Amino acid sequence: MIPSAHGIPREEKIISTRNLKFTYEGGVQALQGLNLDIRSGDYVAIVGGNGSGKTTLAKALNGLLKPTSGTVMVNGMPTSELKVAEIAKVVGYAFQNPDHQLFCSSVEDEVRFGPLNLGYPEQEVRQKVERAIEAMNLGQLRALAPLSLRLGERRRVSIASVIAMDPQVLILDEPTTGLDAGESLELMNSLKRLNAEGKTIILITHDMKVVAEHARRVIVMANGRMILDSDSRGVFSDLAILGESNLEPPPVVRLAHRLAKHGIPHDVMSVEELVFQLLRSRGGG
Amino acid sequence: MKALELNNVRFKYRDFQNWALDSVSLEVEKGEFVTILGCNGSGKSTLCLLTNGLIPHAIQGNLQGSVSVFGNNVGEQPVSQSATKVGIVFQEPESQLFCMSVEEEVAFGPENLAVPREEIKTRVEWALELVGMKGYNNRSPFSLSGGQKQRVAIAAALSMRPEMLVLDEPAYALDPVGRLGLYSVLRDLKEKHGMTVILAERDAEEALAFSDRFVLMKDGKLLESGPPRQVLRDPAKLREIGVAPPQVTEVASLLNTRMGTSKFSFLTVEEAERAILEEVLKPKKEGRR
Amino acid sequence: MGGFIDLYTEADTFLHRMDPRVKIVAVLLLSLLAFILSHLYLLLALLTFIFLLLFLARATISRTAFALKFVLRFMVLIIILWPIFDPTGTPVLASLGPIKITEPAVWRGVTSAARVGCLATVWYILMFTTSQRDLVRALVKMGVRFDFGLTLAISLRFLPTFGALIDSIKDAQRARGLELSKGGLLKRSKNYVAVLVPTIVSALRTADTLSLALQSRAYGARADRTYLRDLNMRPSDYVALAVLAAILVLPAFAKFVMQVDI
Ligand SMILES: Nc1ncnc2c1ncn2[C@@H]1O[C@H](COP(=O)(O)OP(=O)(O)OP(=O)(O)O)[C@@H](O)[C@H]1O
Ligand SMILES: Nc1ncnc2c1ncn2[C@@H]1O[C@H](COP(=O)(O)OP(=O)(O)OP(=O)(O)O)[C@@H](O)[C@H]1O
Ligand SMILES: [Mg+2]
Ligand SMILES: [Mg+2]
Repeated sequence: MIPSAHGIPREEKIISTRNLKFTYEGGVQALQGLNLDIRSGDYVAIVGGNGSGKTTLAKALNGLLKPTSGTVMVNGMPTSELKVAEIAKVVGYAFQNPDHQLFCSSVEDEVRFGPLNLGYPEQEVRQKVERAIEAMNLGQLRALAPLSLRLGERRRVSIASVIAMDPQVLILDEPTTGLDAGESLELMNSLKRLNAEGKTIILITHDMKVVAEHARRVIVMANGRMILDSDSRGVFSDLAILGESNLEPPPVVRLAHRLAKHGIPHDVMSVEELVFQLLRSRGGG
Repeated sequence: MKALELNNVRFKYRDFQNWALDSVSLEVEKGEFVTILGCNGSGKSTLCLLTNGLIPHAIQGNLQGSVSVFGNNVGEQPVSQSATKVGIVFQEPESQLFCMSVEEEVAFGPENLAVPREEIKTRVEWALELVGMKGYNNRSPFSLSGGQKQRVAIAAALSMRPEMLVLDEPAYALDPVGRLGLYSVLRDLKEKHGMTVILAERDAEEALAFSDRFVLMKDGKLLESGPPRQVLRDPAKLREIGVAPPQVTEVASLLNTRMGTSKFSFLTVEEAERAILEEVLKPKKEGRR
Repeated sequence: MGGFIDLYTEADTFLHRMDPRVKIVAVLLLSLLAFILSHLYLLLALLTFIFLLLFLARATISRTAFALKFVLRFMVLIIILWPIFDPTGTPVLASLGPIKITEPAVWRGVTSAARVGCLATVWYILMFTTSQRDLVRALVKMGVRFDFGLTLAISLRFLPTFGALIDSIKDAQRARGLELSKGGLLKRSKNYVAVLVPTIVSALRTADTLSLALQSRAYGARADRTYLRDLNMRPSDYVALAVLAAILVLPAFAKFVMQVDI
C-alpha cells in the first residue's frame, strides 16, 4: 500500500490481468499467462530484452490487442468488451516511435486530436490540451509543425498528445530511445511530476539506469512471462535474475555488488548512495 | 598519410541558417579508434556524412574547407570511389538493408566494384564470420533482430575492404544484448584487424573500453579531443554538453569532492573496485588494527 | 503480412530446382496457350496438366488453400456473371426482363473461367516455387536493366516492412481514440489522413537513408558489375524447355497455320 500525496491509500486496481495469454496470427505466443495488477499511483518499469513481449503487453493493456485467453480488466471492465477509444480515456499509450503518431500541421492541433476524438466538450478539450502542453513543456513550440521538430521534441509532442486525453494510466514505450542525456533527464523529470500529481506511469525500457533512478516497481519479462515483479531495490539486489533476462545492471550497481564483501549493501542504486555507503564504511560504520 | 583529415570544415544544409559544422579540424591516424561524443544536433551525423563524400555529392549545402581520406580529397571524387576506402554504417537498422538475403546484402558492394565472383564469395564469408553472422547467408534481412541487422550492415561495409569504418550511432534502438554483440564486433575490428574506426555516440559508457580518443562536439564545433581518461576527468563538463558521462567517473568525481582529493580517476568498474579497495576501504581496516 | 506477399515456399522439387528463366518462359508460353485454346475440353486438359504441376511442386492443400480459394471464387464469379452480361446466341435458357441467359453464353462463361483458372494457377506456381531474389536475378539475366531489377527487388523487400509500418501507425492512432471506420465518407477519409501522413513521412525518411546507403556501397561504380550468383542452365532445364515448346508448337501450328479451330 503506497500512501498518496493526499494521504489517501491507493490500493485501487486500475488494471488487472488474469492468466493473460496472447498469440499472434503467425503462432508466436508473445504472452504466456500473466497475472498483473497495476494500482493507482504506481510507477512501474517493464524491462526485458528484445522480443520478450513488452510491447505486446502494453497493447493488451490498452485494448489494441484483445487477449487470446484470460482477461484484462480496466477499472473492473474486461477490455474484450470495450472499444479502444473507450479504454484510451483510462489507459494512454505513447508509441515507441513518435513519427507513427504525428500528422498535424501544428503542435497544438496534434495535442487536440486525442481529446477531440474522445468527444469531450470544447471547453474541456481546451483545458486538457493546455495542461498537456504545460506538462511536456511545449509552450514555445505550440504553433510549429511537429514534423519540423527534433526527435526529443517530437517525442514530447507525442506524449503530450496522449496526456491530453487525461488517462489515469500512462504507458510509455521506450521513451528515452534516441534522446540525449539532457533530453532524457528533462522527460523523466516531467514524468516524475505527473506521477506525483497522481498519474500512474508504466515505463517500458531497456535502460537500467533510468529504471534505477525513477521506477518504484520493476517487472522483468522474458519469453512472454513475468519472471520478477518487485520493488526496484529488490531487482537490483538480485543480479542473477537480470542476467537471465539479458539485462545489464548499471555500473554503480555492479560496482556495489563487487564491494559487497566489504560491507557495501546489495541494494545501492545511485552514485550518491554508493559514495555515501563508501564513506560510511570508511568512517568505521 | 592521415586516415582522415578535416581542414577547417564548415557546412550548412541547403535552406538552413545555422552551420551544422563550424570550423572543424580533425586528424585521425591510421589504426586509430576515435569516438565522437555529442548531444542531439551537435553535428556527429554531418561529420560522418562528410567522410565518404555523401556531403557534398548527395546532400546539398554550403561546404567550405577540405576533407581528405588517405590523401584523397573526397569532395573531388565520386562517392562510389570513396566507398572503397570508407565503409559507413547508419543508425537505422531498418532502412540501410535493401536486399532480399543477407548474402546479397554483403555482396552488393563488391558486385558494384566488379570484383570477380570467386573473390566476392570469399569476402562474403569472411565478413559474415567477422561479425558473427556466419550461416545466415540466405536469411531475409527483414527477419533479423535489430542487433543482427546492424552487424549485417557492418559486414556489407567490410566486404568492400575499406581502410576505415565510420559508424553513426549504430547501437541506437538496440537492446543490451544487441549492443553487446555489436560492440564486441567493433572491439575485434580494432584489436584483431587494426581497422581505423570513427564511432559517433551520445553516451560515453560503452565506447570507453576500446576508444583511443574521445572527441567532444557541441553545436557543430569541436570542443575537445584527447584520450578518454583525459576527456572524462571532469564528468560535469560532459553533462554540460548533454552527454552522459560513464557512471563510475561520477563516483570518482563525487569521491574526490567529498574526500577533498583529486586522486580518483577510474573509468571502468574494475578500476573503480581496485582504487576503492586501495584508497577508501583499506585504510579503514588498517585503522582498526 | 510477409506470407501474403511472398508466396514462395521452400522445398526441393524439380520445379523449385528449375532455372528461373525457364520457369518465366514456361509461364509465358502456358499463358499464351491458355489464350490460344478456345475449346472447353482442351482448356480443361490444360488446367488438369497445370494442377498436376502444382501437385508436383508439393503444394499441399493447407499451403495453397488461401490462393486456391481466391482463384475458385473468381472462377465461380465469372461463371455466374458471364451469361448475365452476354445475351447473344440461342437457345435462350431463361429470361428475366432485359436479362437473357443463353446456352452458348453459359459455355463461354465456363470456358473463360477455365482459362482464368489456368492463368492464375500457372503464375501462382511460379511464385510458389521461385524465390523473389531468383525472379529478379532471372529478369536481369534475361536483359532487364539492373536498375529496374534492383528497384523491383527493393519494392518487394520493403513491402512487408511497410505492411508492418501501416499496422503500427493504425494502432498508434487508435490509441489516440481514432476510429477508422466511424462516420460518413468525408469523416472516414479525414480519418485516413491520420494514417496516411505518418506513413508517407516514414516512407520518405526510409527512402532518404536508403539512397545514402546505396551510394555508400558503391552503387553505379562500374558498368561491368559482377554478380555473386550466377544462373546456369542444366540439362534438365533444356529438356523442360523442349517439352514446353512441343506442347505449344502443336496447337499454335494447328491454329495459325492450318487455321483449325481448337
Ligand atoms: N505483429 C506481430 N506479428 C507476429 N509476431 C509478432 C508481432 N509483433 C511482435 N511479434 C512477436 O511477439 C514477440 C514479442 O514481441 P514484442 O514486440 O512484444 O517484444 P518487445 O519486448 O516489445 O521487444 P522490443 O524490445 O524489441 O520492442 C516477439 O517474438 C515478436 O517477434
Ligand atoms: N538533412 C538535414 N537538413 C537540414 N538540417 C540538418 C539535416 N541534418 C542535420 N541538420 C542540422 O544540422 C545540425 C547538426 O545535425 P547532426 O544530425 O549532424 O547532429 P547529430 O549530432 O548527428 O545529432 P543526432 O544525435 O540527433 O543524430 C543540427 O542543427 C540539425 O538540425
Ligand atoms: Mg517493443
Ligand atoms: Mg545523428
